[in-house]
Amino acid sequence: MSFRMLRFISIVSVFSLFHSVPVLAQEKNLKQQIQPLAANSLILDIANNQQTMVAVGERGHAFVFNKTWQQVNTPTDALLTKVFFISPLKGWAVGHDATILHTADGGQSWQLQMQSAEIEKPFLDVLFFNEQEGVAVGAYGLFYRTLDGGNTWNSEYHQELLFEEDVAYLEELKAEDEALYLSERSTLLPHFNRIIPVTNNTLLMVGELGLVATSLDKGHTWLKQDFLYEGSLFNAAVIESTAFVMGLRGNVFVSDLKLTEWSKVNLPVNSTINAGLRLGERTLRAVGNGGVIIDITTTGESQLVEQRQGENLVAIAEDSEGNIWVAGNKGLIKLEQK
Amino acid sequence: MLDKLVNGFESYLFRHRAFVIFLFTLATIFLGLQASNLKMDAAFVKNIPLNHSYMQTYLKHQKQFGGANSIMVAVEDTSGNIFNANFFDTLKNVHDQLFFIPGVDRAQVKSLFSPSTRFTEVVEDGFAGGPVIPADFSTTEYGLKVVQGNIEKAGIVGRLIAEDYSAAMVSAQLMDFDPQTGEALDTLAFAAQLEEQLREQYETDAIKIHIIGFAKMAGDVADGAKGVLLFFLIAILVTAVMVYFFSKSVALTILPLVCSLVAVIWQLGLLTVVGFGLDPMSILIPFLVFAIGVSHSVQMINAVRRRVTDGQTTKAAAALAFRSLLIPGGVALLSDTIGFMTLLAIDIGIIRELAISASLGVAVIILTNLMLLPLLISYTKVSPNHEQQPAANPIWLKLSKFATLKYAVWVLAITAVLYAVGLQQANKMKVGDLQGGAPALHLDSRYNQDTFFITDKFSITTDVMTVIVEAFPEACTYHSVLTQIDEFEWLVGNTPGVESTASLASVAKRVNAGFNEGNPKWSVLPRTTASLVQAVGQVPTTSGLLNSDCSVMPVYLFLEDHKAETIEPVIAKVNELKLKMDNEQIQFKLASGPVGVMAATNEAVAEAQLPMMLYVYGAVFILCLISFRSLRATIAVILPLYVVSTLAQALMTQLDIGLAVSTLPVIALGVGIGVDYGIYILSTMAVRLRDGMPVQQAYYEALVERGSAVIFTGLTLAIGVSTWFFSALKFQMDMGILLTFMFLVNMLGAIIILPAIAALFWRQPK
Repeated sequence: MSFRMLRFISIVSVFSLFHSVPVLAQEKNLKQQIQPLAANSLILDIANNQQTMVAVGERGHAFVFNKTWQQVNTPTDALLTKVFFISPLKGWAVGHDATILHTADGGQSWQLQMQSAEIEKPFLDVLFFNEQEGVAVGAYGLFYRTLDGGNTWNSEYHQELLFEEDVAYLEELKAEDEALYLSERSTLLPHFNRIIPVTNNTLLMVGELGLVATSLDKGHTWLKQDFLYEGSLFNAAVIESTAFVMGLRGNVFVSDLKLTEWSKVNLPVNSTINAGLRLGERTLRAVGNGGVIIDITTTGESQLVEQRQGENLVAIAEDSEGNIWVAGNKGLIKLEQK
Repeated sequence: MLDKLVNGFESYLFRHRAFVIFLFTLATIFLGLQASNLKMDAAFVKNIPLNHSYMQTYLKHQKQFGGANSIMVAVEDTSGNIFNANFFDTLKNVHDQLFFIPGVDRAQVKSLFSPSTRFTEVVEDGFAGGPVIPADFSTTEYGLKVVQGNIEKAGIVGRLIAEDYSAAMVSAQLMDFDPQTGEALDTLAFAAQLEEQLREQYETDAIKIHIIGFAKMAGDVADGAKGVLLFFLIAILVTAVMVYFFSKSVALTILPLVCSLVAVIWQLGLLTVVGFGLDPMSILIPFLVFAIGVSHSVQMINAVRRRVTDGQTTKAAAALAFRSLLIPGGVALLSDTIGFMTLLAIDIGIIRELAISASLGVAVIILTNLMLLPLLISYTKVSPNHEQQPAANPIWLKLSKFATLKYAVWVLAITAVLYAVGLQQANKMKVGDLQGGAPALHLDSRYNQDTFFITDKFSITTDVMTVIVEAFPEACTYHSVLTQIDEFEWLVGNTPGVESTASLASVAKRVNAGFNEGNPKWSVLPRTTASLVQAVGQVPTTSGLLNSDCSVMPVYLFLEDHKAETIEPVIAKVNELKLKMDNEQIQFKLASGPVGVMAATNEAVAEAQLPMMLYVYGAVFILCLISFRSLRATIAVILPLYVVSTLAQALMTQLDIGLAVSTLPVIALGVGIGVDYGIYILSTMAVRLRDGMPVQQAYYEALVERGSAVIFTGLTLAIGVSTWFFSALKFQMDMGILLTFMFLVNMLGAIIILPAIAALFWRQPK
């Protein structure tokens, strides 16, 4: 790590705001949530929990895969963006209205751990290091951490990921107008779109404005990387010793696990890439807007597998029989094997 | 007293017969001239129940969200791939040609080639875009490839381009008035232009042109209705042959036909006088008037002939026949008229018109066929019928056995079984149109085939129902309002039969994702008012998703089809949600759009059925009671009618004919006319029964006197309407089938079931 980069590390600036957790679930008719078309409407993520798959999407919809996708009730109708399992039974789903749901039975039933419509920010990803410790990240630098399996969630503010000019601007504002300072501060961080473990002790987080940041301490402090692209990055993946980041308009980059030297992959289309799935030892099957499905190798070759008209694909997963499922604005779809 | 009056009237008429005929001639010339001004009139509002609550909603918002009068032209490349030079040249020509047809709103012509067809894509610093067909477009391989890319970015697949890229759409809105002349758009002429200037000019082996839209359908229906003239001629010819077989005389064949045609002319002329036009549904009436006229004429000929055979002069026989038939014939025609009048109780314009024009027509027959006909006959020389009068007519003898208890029991048992089975089927009768496509036309008609092509290849349907959300000004800037609309749209969208939905709420969610770099994870209604306004502000009022102050926001429901069984669950779901979601601020109102109109019509028709039957039977009951002064006789006439109308409903179930605006009046018409047979037979029987004659004997004598006329009447009526089986219009075919059934089976009821009931009612004391 060069000296120049060290300057970017600002040490532990964590503002903890204790958040009272169990928000009363909005009174809603649970029977109404189970609807025949739910599995065909917007679905944003599929997680494989080693036993089965769980998917989440709009209106708080959640599904458990058991030969077919079965919808289960959740205590929210917020758009759920991401679902993560630390074990076959224990998992979390996050989404809009700063919603965090927890399941202890492999996705069959869900409890609300946090919801706060008034902060007007969605969670976009959730990651647990073990059954107790985890973080949820989202729009405008939204960052919450739990140390007790999600019973309590505390907010963190990662000032180290602000742009230098914004830091100066905020300093100025703080002296002049405390209220405006707080409101500006809450929107100046970029969206945190995805957080993944790269090695045993390295985390990678990608986001808006070409945000690529790494952490060696479970996300308490972040190091922002110089990155060659300034558009949004929506996802990241690791296959063997290669890391991928994916984003707007066909921007996909690969690097070794040091995460410092990125090179751009040439894609056959310039659609936004939303997610990828490891296929074998050297191929990432990526999906994106415009219904594109593209195979990208660790060496940077790419090939269009399929383009599904009128679809935006946001997630991709593999079931225990090796079938590949994608999800997006048309719901859950099993791909014909290719 | 009544007899005296009739006799006095008779002697007066026959004394001045030349003058009376002269008056009839004058009236016929006058009304004939009027009839020649009769216009085809297929106004849309006549077909809908204007007072229904759905239609109140429809009319209230029609101006803002109308736009129902559109035309869609799909240009198909039969190779299945549109990306070739020939296709793009043709598409451009079709676009330009449609643009220049008078009546088209030129600003609203949409296709790949309209300048408003643009693509937008998200780029790092916002949005970028341009016209889908670039200014320097040429039909080279490269040019076509660029266009193909732009089409995908523009998100017009399914709307302007077929989902499988085998066709492209040119659509246009029609103006209600010609901007140059200021005259109302002539829908039928417009439809003809579409056919000539688009289909005939551009359809080749490689290119197919599919055209749909209200104007085109109206044109095709009018073309189909023209076939009716041919049916009318055929009906006249067949009837003429039958009358000749019956009368064995040229003069007695021509006169009834002439008198019946005079009745038709009067009826059509009177329509113009009262200010009505002729629409494809009420074209039925002239057939009925003609057939009813002929059947009453036959009774008249029969009566004259019998009296001539008895040795009277033709003139005296005609006068006596007039005397004897004016009352029973008049009562029968009056009951027809009253039967039709009951249809006035139904709140659908077209059925009321049908009621009025049918009543007029039948009333006219009293003048033309009960008065004019005997006067005209009195000038001819009727030859006596010598071949008749065998000792006993074997057919009538056999038929008369139905009036014996032994046979009556069997007849009634079989009738009861038929009724039970019929009732069970009748209860399954469906309401509304049971088939896809435009209900007026056959499934295999070009128009419906075009409709199926377009709904199949494009994500476009004509089966749209609109729920209108009425809120308060600026309502769309409130997260809570849009969330409710979104929730409503989602829950209704999950009802079976709903294929897709659209509303400001769902569009705003997509726009919001667009503003967030096209990231689907942002497909939500923003809670921040500023973001919400930004998203909603992208939706223009021309989208039909909101009005200018967004106090009214329709939710569009695109249905699989417009069958009643598809519509009903959707309506039920909307009503269920209304109960939960309506409040002072926001109300979900049924219903607009083509299917909303159909739903209202279905409900009105279903509601009208029972009252209509009660009125018709009530009227017939009272008339029979007055003319027979006997409850037994009245029941003997009405019971067979009731069984037959139940069987007609069962037939509708069997043939998949739904209860609709066109089929609802059929039962009233069938009962109103069907009662005639019973009245004729029983009026002869009643006199004899009162004198203590055994039932079988009375029935036999009634058959001798009226039997052949009754059977003849049934056949004439059935033939008149059965030509409709071959109509190009589906509803005319349905009406033809049902009326033919009603006329024939009512006749059988009168000569088989009626005597059986009589045998039971007037049992001879042993």
